[in-house]
Amino acid sequence: MRRIVTDSDFREGFVEMLPATLALVPFGLVCGVGAAAAGASLIGAMGLSAIVFSGAAQILAVQLLAAGAPVAVIVLTCFVAGLRFVIYSAAMAPFLRPLPAHWQKTLAFLLTDQAFAVAVQRFHAGGDSHAAGRHFLGSGFSLWLMWQVTNLIGYFAGNLIPAEWSLDFAVPLCFIALVAPHLRTSPTIVAALVAGVGVLAFASLPMKLSLIVAGVAGIVAGTLADFTKERWTAR
Amino acid sequence: MDGALKLWVVVAVVGLLNYLSRLSFIAIFARREVPTLLARAFRYVPAAMLTALVLPMVVVIPAQAQASLPRVVAALAAGVVAFYTRSTLWTLATGMLVLWALQLAVAYVG
Repeated sequence: MRRIVTDSDFREGFVEMLPATLALVPFGLVCGVGAAAAGASLIGAMGLSAIVFSGAAQILAVQLLAAGAPVAVIVLTCFVAGLRFVIYSAAMAPFLRPLPAHWQKTLAFLLTDQAFAVAVQRFHAGGDSHAAGRHFLGSGFSLWLMWQVTNLIGYFAGNLIPAEWSLDFAVPLCFIALVAPHLRTSPTIVAALVAGVGVLAFASLPMKLSLIVAGVAGIVAGTLADFTKERWTAR
Repeated sequence: MDGALKLWVVVAVVGLLNYLSRLSFIAIFARREVPTLLARAFRYVPAAMLTALVLPMVVVIPAQAQASLPRVVAALAAGVVAFYTRSTLWTLATGMLVLWALQLAVAYVG
């Protein structure tokens, strides 16, 4: 443990992540506020942020809990929203293959949108994959720690933030930062368009089922567009 | 079900499913070929899921269309910045500043 904390790659990763954790401060606060508003106990709220460790899933979970949705719906919604982690996992897999199994299992827990972005850059730069693994551990841990602190502050002090600041708007902004750079190929744009139109069209469905319906529709549309594009270019 | 118990069930199950999603390819598919169709479809998960997640937070349905206009404009501005800079910090700064400016303008005019 001590050997890892004093490791230079671990420290480098920890520090490199700090600007990104800064951008997540409002998001973490909003998650803490949401948990408190849903009536979660302090331990429950911290369990949610420490174990689930995904802003999108946490926000959805507390909103659905507050709305009295059944456990099955909450679980399914959070699972579908978290499916993007499967992509990150697929992209990280070749880089992590040289590492021991317990390292793979630990790093998988720390795989989030932001940690993925930083880790992929570092692994792409080449060099020793064990050093890159320690760097990933540092950046992932940095993010996890900051996430717990901001969730905790949000839980206690969230209602001190004036509503006019529209702090909740930081949440969609964090996701816009993730999705906008993706929209560079036509199938991706089709996927986003179909999902976007779908989620508004089905907004009246109860318990945020519109998210799953529109998301799946978008994925199918994007995949079909991909095949169509391939056919056209093959001619 | 008791509220506290329900929360813990959600924490445990969602935590486990999220972890398995994160671990999936790293562990399970490390030595196996991924089905081609599945690999194709996975590529469009972030664009579809994140868009479906974001839009309802920005666009409020017709009844309050006017109230959501500053948010829509701020989100579009943030989207353009995100597209070119790929930076969360710049996206956040742009979106919040545009939103605050528009809210001030609306308060001043209205």
